[in-house]
Amino acid sequence: MKILVVVDVVILVALIVILMTLKGGYEEQARRTANEQESAYLEKNTQVLVEQWRSVDQYSMAWKLVYSMLSGAKTEAAFKSNLAAIEGDKDARFKQISHLYTGAGINDAVQNGIYQKAGLAEGTILLKNEKGNKEVACGKNCVVKFSFAKGKLKNVDYSALVQYNLANTLKIEKPGEYHFE
Amino acid sequence: MNLKNISIALTVLVFGVIAMLFMQKGNYVNQAKEHYEATTAKSFKGNSMVLELVNNAIDMNKQTWAIACGALQTVKNSQDMARLEAKFFPATKGSNSIANKTRRFEASSANVIVSTFGKVEEDKKTGVKSLADLQSVDVSVLLGNFAAATADSDDAEEEGEE
Repeated sequence: MKILVVVDVVILVALIVILMTLKGGYEEQARRTANEQESAYLEKNTQVLVEQWRSVDQYSMAWKLVYSMLSGAKTEAAFKSNLAAIEGDKDARFKQISHLYTGAGINDAVQNGIYQKAGLAEGTILLKNEKGNKEVACGKNCVVKFSFAKGKLKNVDYSALVQYNLANTLKIEKPGEYHFE
Repeated sequence: MNLKNISIALTVLVFGVIAMLFMQKGNYVNQAKEHYEATTAKSFKGNSMVLELVNNAIDMNKQTWAIACGALQTVKNSQDMARLEAKFFPATKGSNSIANKTRRFEASSANVIVSTFGKVEEDKKTGVKSLADLQSVDVSVLLGNFAAATADSDDAEEEGEE
């Protein structure tokens, strides 16, 4: 009979130990899942701002290109050299983006935080380069069209730039519910 | 009898620990949820604000660029320029500097263009002077180079139109 009691006590003590371990496990799990879900959400938001920053870079380069084509030599050769000069001048690109952000009231620390992750837009903004017809990216869902005849600029269609609106394409989503898994 | 009592007491204890465990679990989940909600709400608010502020800034910036580029294509004199400005910014007017033969349009401190003209013209009837023969449009402020375009704004400015 006594043995039975001893066994009983041992089992119960073991059970208590298991339950206490489980408790620690829950605590750790709650903290970890919250952190994971927070980082996933924060990362998603950062990506939107990164995309916005790169879009503003393309947007800014496109305006500069349109301006340089309208104010300087209106030839296909000038288009090529203007584009190369604009894309190649990374300091000027950063300056132009930063100027727009500063004007928007975004401080340097926030700007630098985005820039650290986003850098500048990758690749070239030249989307289509056929003889006489060139298309240039001016941000997300935005294209400027240049047409040339016999090497001379015939027309620039930059209406997409004038109507440019990122509000329709980029959005910060509301956070989802926290899940304890 | 004694054994029975001990057994009952131990069983009660186990149930007590199980109940405590679930309570603690609920507690941890609530704490985690609170932390998650506070962190994500802050991120939502901050990032939405950045997104919106930049989008609003683009709105004004693109219109200022549109004036600069439109001017290069269509504008001949300061009256044309005034009409173009009014098309995009009905409430903001540029100002001529007859002495410098320039016209400065400032939608905001970050959105400024300065156009340079070749000639000063005078209306014979009214004596009002205006600028003609557009030479160039300075967009250095839009490019982030502040110094260039602010230098010539301290002159006495005269309104050339109306």
